[in-house]
Amino acid sequence: MHRLLLAFRAFFRILFNRALAEQIEPLLIAGPEAPPAEPKPAPKPKPPPKPAAPARSEALTLLASLQREARFVDFLRESLDDYADAQVGAAARDVHRGCAAVVERFFALRPLVDGEEGKEIEVPGGFDPGRFRLTGNVAGSPPFRGRIVHHGWEATACNVPEWTGGEAAARVVAPAEVELP
Amino acid sequence: MTKSGSQYVIGIDLGTTNCVLAYAPLTEEAPRIELLPAPQLVAAGTVEARTGLPSFTYLASPHETGGGALDLPWAAGRDFAVGEYARRQGAEVPDRTVGAAKSWLCYSKVDRHQPILPWNAPAEVPKISPVTASTHYLAHLVAAWEAAFPDAPLARQKVVLTVPASFDAAARELTREAALAAGLPEGLVLIEEPQSAVYAWLAAMGDRWRRRLTVDNTLLVCDVGGGTTDLTLVRVGEEGGELVLDRMAVGNHLLVGGDNMDLALAHFVAGLFAEKGVTLDPWQSVALWHSCRAAKEALFAAHGPETHTISVLGRGSKLVGGTVSVEVDRAAVGELLLEGFFPQCTLGERPVRRRVSGFAEIGLPFESDTAVTRHLATFLSAHGEDGGAVYPSHVLFNGGVFKAARLRERLLATLAGWFSGEEAPAVLDPAADLDHAVARGAAYYAWAKEAGGVRIRGGTARAYYVGIETSGLAIPGAPRPLRALCVVPFGMEEGTEVEVPSQEIGLVVGEPAHFRFFSSPTRKQDRPGNLLPTCAELEETDSMETTLPADEDIEEPYVPVRFQSRITELGMFELWCAGTQTDKRWKLEFSVREEGEG
Repeated sequence: MHRLLLAFRAFFRILFNRALAEQIEPLLIAGPEAPPAEPKPAPKPKPPPKPAAPARSEALTLLASLQREARFVDFLRESLDDYADAQVGAAARDVHRGCAAVVERFFALRPLVDGEEGKEIEVPGGFDPGRFRLTGNVAGSPPFRGRIVHHGWEATACNVPEWTGGEAAARVVAPAEVELP
Repeated sequence: MTKSGSQYVIGIDLGTTNCVLAYAPLTEEAPRIELLPAPQLVAAGTVEARTGLPSFTYLASPHETGGGALDLPWAAGRDFAVGEYARRQGAEVPDRTVGAAKSWLCYSKVDRHQPILPWNAPAEVPKISPVTASTHYLAHLVAAWEAAFPDAPLARQKVVLTVPASFDAAARELTREAALAAGLPEGLVLIEEPQSAVYAWLAAMGDRWRRRLTVDNTLLVCDVGGGTTDLTLVRVGEEGGELVLDRMAVGNHLLVGGDNMDLALAHFVAGLFAEKGVTLDPWQSVALWHSCRAAKEALFAAHGPETHTISVLGRGSKLVGGTVSVEVDRAAVGELLLEGFFPQCTLGERPVRRRVSGFAEIGLPFESDTAVTRHLATFLSAHGEDGGAVYPSHVLFNGGVFKAARLRERLLATLAGWFSGEEAPAVLDPAADLDHAVARGAAYYAWAKEAGGVRIRGGTARAYYVGIETSGLAIPGAPRPLRALCVVPFGMEEGTEVEVPSQEIGLVVGEPAHFRFFSSPTRKQDRPGNLLPTCAELEETDSMETTLPADEDIEEPYVPVRFQSRITELGMFELWCAGTQTDKRWKLEFSVREEGEG
């Protein structure tokens, strides 16, 4: 159980802390006992250095956007135990409308396949397993014919905002608000 | 690429509440019009590309600009923000937020070069002028363009900028000044927004428009934007067997729009909350405003629901617990908005002159009567012949307000009632989405100018007059009863010039000469040189002035002159004083700096 917790903490710290991530990367690639000197010649030429990498993860910017426009984090962080479904529903409608608008603007999601769910579809040979997940009696050879259970989603854009703020605010999801009299 | 090195045509909609830039490459056979996503601050330190740029400026306090919080990819060390972040700030920090700068541009009671906005803000808040605010929005779009198209500087492209049809010559001059300061090209062309909406329709129709309209049809463009209502009539004529479009008339500048409707509904719903003992803070009030807009569109859709729940989320981090909701029903909202803004009225009714409290902001002359239908009745009656009203055979809707089907239906039903002997006016399907049609239409117009295509002919939408005293050789400025000398007739075309026949007018050497300046959108019969006995039925705008330098070798204390007026190829108005005994002439400038009550 302790390792599971540690793994989660490591995951998020690596995600949000660039310096830590850079320290840990060689450990995972080379193994702890490998000598640190003499890095192997890179198999591919290195890509040109990125111009001024953003100082915070896009994941955090997405989270901040969902909070700013739809109060998403407030919604998740509040316990629903004390409220009737109608009260939760009233809040959820607004949060839902705001989140949907953000996700649509950032990612412009579209179904992966045409056709209604329940209808037949043909999956061609040489399909990308990232685009189709086959279930049920997977046997024989393609093309496969089957029923669409879920049409899938694909982002047709990726317009996550750019962070231009300073280092100190890079981890802030929502600023504390103080009203002056 | 054209001879001038332009690669693109660009249409910019400088809106009262939202700016949009549309463009099309000139290298293609047909205009393929796209919208430019403009990177803008959506929160401190967060830049997102959005299609529209809200026309708001937030003037930050020095404590808020640390850590590059207001920086853009192309600008560091900013102490103000424009766009979405500024719009959001407007709710909670209204004293530091400039909005509706465009409405101030055409308000001649204030000096529009002076830093007066935010209006009535405390002394320690920095202020900017309406011209500067407009420059900020345009400069932002220029920078966004150049970030996206570094090889095609905007100043080298063919650019068309939209203005309300009701903008007079002085407001157009100020718009142009703001545009040039922002880096738009000298060859910038201004186009009226309702005409732009027609171009957007033409762009969408292609050649099929010739089958949709026939000779002697009259098209009413009803453009209800966020803050203003703009009305225009376009007549279909024939020339050499081809259909042509002529802009017949434009309405007055009406400061009533969709925001008034959303605010009125929000005010009503806030009352429902108050009955439940809930008072809303500013953040919640703005959230309510947005919810009300969504509610209006849902309830007024063609087959909308009978009731709609409006919720306001709890403030603070307790969201679910603090959420309150009320139900509004369609009948109540219909009563409020249809009767408040689109009441059934007769063609003979006129707007009621009284102050309506509730949403009037101090400063701007908001319409006291919010009934768009009564303003429309006045407009159609003013432009008919033989005392009758103009019958529009077709209607083109523009502006986000008309996303609500019931508002369109109400307006059409009212129109049909006025002209019961005629066929009911037909609706032309709006071209693009109603929020972006003006920018798209402007880009299409720029394209049509370059590559050929149908154009709407218009000329000036107003006749212009100089206030003059005619008893003998008058010295302007003397407090005597004024007559109005027509210097520009209605419909004077671009690229033309007229000599105004009149008695000689004396200009005093070495002193500024002021002329009071008037306009009328309805007096189509006046010719240059006509003298009206009174200025009473004209609208006064910014006065014009010029100074004859004393060092020019003029012997007399004053120089006799006559007026010459000119509309440039770019549609800008110029008034000159030409000496009758010399070949010198002096240009009159709008004295927007000196204007005011006294």
